[in-house]
Amino acid sequence: MIPLTHFLIVSACLFAIGLYAVLSRRNAIMVLVGIELMINASILNLVAFGRYDKTLYGGQVFALFAIVLAAAAVAVALAIILNVYKFYKSVNPEDINHLKD
Amino acid sequence: MTITALVFYVFATVAVGSALLLVTLRNIARALFLFFVVLFSVAGLYVFALADFVAITQILVYVGGVLVLMLFAFMLSNKELLHDLQLGTSQLFALPVWQSVLLAASLLTVLIYAALQLGNQEPGWVLAARDEGTVLSPADSNVQQLGLQFMTRYVLPFEVVSVLLMMALIGAAHLSRKEATP
Amino acid sequence: MLSTVLTYPVLAALTAVALPLLAFLLSAALGRRARSGSIAVASISLSLVAAAYVFGQVWNQESIRVQWEWFTVGSHRFLVGLTLDNLSAMMLLLVCVIAWPVHVYSVAYMKGDSGIHRYWAYLSLFCFAMLGLVIADNLLLMYIFWELVGFASYLLIGFWFTKESAVQANKKAFLVNRIGDLGFLIGIALVYSHLGTLDTEALTATPETFPATWHTVAGLAFFLGAMAKSAQFPLHVWLPDAMEGPTAVSSLIHAATMVAAGVFLLARIHPLFDGNTLMVIAVTGTVTALVAACFALTQYDIKKILAFSTISQLGFMMVGIGIGLFPVALFHLATHAFFKCLLFLCAGAVIHQMHHVAESQQHEIDPQDIRNMGGLRRHMPVTFATMLIASLALAGFPFTSGYLSKDALIVHTFEWAALQSGFAKVIPYLLLAVSALTSFYILRLLAKVFFGSFRVGLKDTSMLHEAPLSMRIPMVFLAACSLFPLFSMHPLNDGHVWLMQGLTTTVSSLPPLRLLHLAVPVLTTLATCVSAMMAWRWYVSSRYPLKTDSLPYRWSYNQGYLNPFYEWVIVRPLLRLSHFLFWMDLRIVDGIVNGLASLGRSLAAAASWMDMRIVDGLVRLSGKVAWWLGNLFRRLQTGRVQHYFTTVFLIILVILIYHIVVLL
Repeated sequence: MIPLTHFLIVSACLFAIGLYAVLSRRNAIMVLVGIELMINASILNLVAFGRYDKTLYGGQVFALFAIVLAAAAVAVALAIILNVYKFYKSVNPEDINHLKD
Repeated sequence: MTITALVFYVFATVAVGSALLLVTLRNIARALFLFFVVLFSVAGLYVFALADFVAITQILVYVGGVLVLMLFAFMLSNKELLHDLQLGTSQLFALPVWQSVLLAASLLTVLIYAALQLGNQEPGWVLAARDEGTVLSPADSNVQQLGLQFMTRYVLPFEVVSVLLMMALIGAAHLSRKEATP
Repeated sequence: MLSTVLTYPVLAALTAVALPLLAFLLSAALGRRARSGSIAVASISLSLVAAAYVFGQVWNQESIRVQWEWFTVGSHRFLVGLTLDNLSAMMLLLVCVIAWPVHVYSVAYMKGDSGIHRYWAYLSLFCFAMLGLVIADNLLLMYIFWELVGFASYLLIGFWFTKESAVQANKKAFLVNRIGDLGFLIGIALVYSHLGTLDTEALTATPETFPATWHTVAGLAFFLGAMAKSAQFPLHVWLPDAMEGPTAVSSLIHAATMVAAGVFLLARIHPLFDGNTLMVIAVTGTVTALVAACFALTQYDIKKILAFSTISQLGFMMVGIGIGLFPVALFHLATHAFFKCLLFLCAGAVIHQMHHVAESQQHEIDPQDIRNMGGLRRHMPVTFATMLIASLALAGFPFTSGYLSKDALIVHTFEWAALQSGFAKVIPYLLLAVSALTSFYILRLLAKVFFGSFRVGLKDTSMLHEAPLSMRIPMVFLAACSLFPLFSMHPLNDGHVWLMQGLTTTVSSLPPLRLLHLAVPVLTTLATCVSAMMAWRWYVSSRYPLKTDSLPYRWSYNQGYLNPFYEWVIVRPLLRLSHFLFWMDLRIVDGIVNGLASLGRSLAAAASWMDMRIVDGLVRLSGKVAWWLGNLFRRLQTGRVQHYFTTVFLIILVILIYHIVVLL
């Protein structure tokens, strides 16, 4: 079958790309998308290793939970973004700097 | 190069390529649709990892739920929400910020290196599993096993997650309520 | 004999000494209330009685010695005690007998003086010290009383301390006496180190253990002490200045008793002297006698004439010691005490009268200047008579006591000189010359004071009257003692003098020259008569042939320029030295101290700078560094989430790389 490393490399690429999106995008929604990408990469990783766990199915179960949590996170995050926009009148993370020194 | 491998590579390329495109486009709508593509490709990759239930769940929950939610939120929001200001004059592409690129690239390098090392020297539990033969095969029925596991071993996290989802629901609903106008 | 038994003579001697001390303490305690002097007079009277008793018990009897433990230094034991032999008994009685008339005289002389309470106290102190001196049995005790006598003399010379000249005089007296005390101390040290004891009796026993040179040095050291106290040349300079004190004081201290202390000391330790020392003593005595007599010739202050006369007669006494016959010297001391004291008391009476005259005049006249006096024999007959007797005694006229002592001295000197060689042969002839000079100056004084007419123009001479009774009685008493019957039954021969017979301890080794006993008195009497005629002619008839500004006259009048010499050679260099030492102390010693202080101050300043700049600087530096670091790190707090994310992932990256590189 597909060797483990292939999955890991793909997962690494997705993770790096998601990281790039989180760090550099000027729109909060894009940052959210980046986070989702990273979560997806990690789920892929879990599933890839889960192939070797027939007794406990730990990898796949964890992956399922991760998916659920990612969904919850998106929902809450969008609500937060809405509120942030109401207050700051902007979704640019760079403008939300009231906690700066 | 078997068919399996080829298909796998296709899916992998699509996923990574869409992801790259996704993070460089300035248009958010297009980005979200590309995200849709990424999610589907990743679901295909799950199948190759012999996690079919996870793949289906991915499509159902992620694509059908999360992505749709994001699209709705995006489409039905203000004009200002759609702006994605970036430095530079390019209309189509968001110019990459070099620090982030550098960091992502370094992290990528490290992770790939680690992956390759893993290929050379797999973890003990993996080798043991391979020896004992407790490795998933395509003929296995995942769903039944997953269901059994969920109801016995992982029942507590299962219940907790449902409570969590309820909290998220309530929280999101509360956060996005309309303020009573004075 | 050594004992600690307090027999009656011992007790009497102790009483005689202690009574004036008690009088002194009582007078000092009473202060201004002791104006009448009755305490002092009473004490001296009782002392006189006690001394007379002691004399009666001890004269020509066995001598008495009493000793007690005094103190111990390491292994050296010092005893204190008194010795009552012929010498000390005689001196005890003599001092009391002279002091008593002086006390009585002072009652009238010092009447009305504002400081009279001090006078009585000091006089009693002096009597105590002098009496203690004569009965002390060891040299240390004698030294203590010696110093005390000097101190009492200082106090009394400077009695009228508001007068600048009196203050200078008493300082001078004390300082010159100090030189002598140094000699005394050196002598004590030498005696103790070589003989191991300070007992005067022990000194007579073993002088052989003394190495020769140290023997001479010790003798000369003691003679130095006696030189200063008994005003020998060249340490006599204090005695003329000491006339600043009251006349009664001059009569007691500086004529009869204190100045005789030196002679007494030499008599006490006479076994200690070897031939060289004795020769030095004799020569010094001769020089003193001669020089002082020359100085006395031209003085016109009545007290100064008498002072120089005292110095001259002390020289005679020293010659007596020097020829090895201390009984002769002591005999002369005794007779001199009487007539010199009397001379001073008479002078005091005259001065007393002249004070009255001076007060009545518009311009200042010196009451002691004999050029202002004259013809006083008509106004003061008793004074004149007593002074005449005293003058004749001084000149050595027959039938006086002075004749006996001076005659004995000169004759024995001739006998001694016959055994000597070299310049010592001249000494007796010089003494004869001094006798002649003595006669001249004293008769000059008599002529100028009592004969002729009163030189100060007075409208009314009735203010000049005789001295009061309490002054006359002591004078008459002393005059009586100045005549021969007190000392010898034979008026012209000194072989029967009981005093000398009592004091002679060894048989004289001088072969007697019978002829001298005739020749010498004849010569001296002749000289006296010639002097009388000259004095009459020159001073009464005012036919003065000599020039008063010739060099010998000026040399004599200025006391041989000895005082200016001392001033230039000794006093000024010493003052310069003391100024220099003061400067050194101020600049160098204090400079070092101040320098150290400024060093300390600069060290303190440096430490303060270091503390401020470096130590505080370090503290402030650390504060600044912390601030700078914080400022640096605060840039991380941008408030932007993506930056925080970047930081987190950067760190994770670093950790991963670390794990990969280091651990794998």
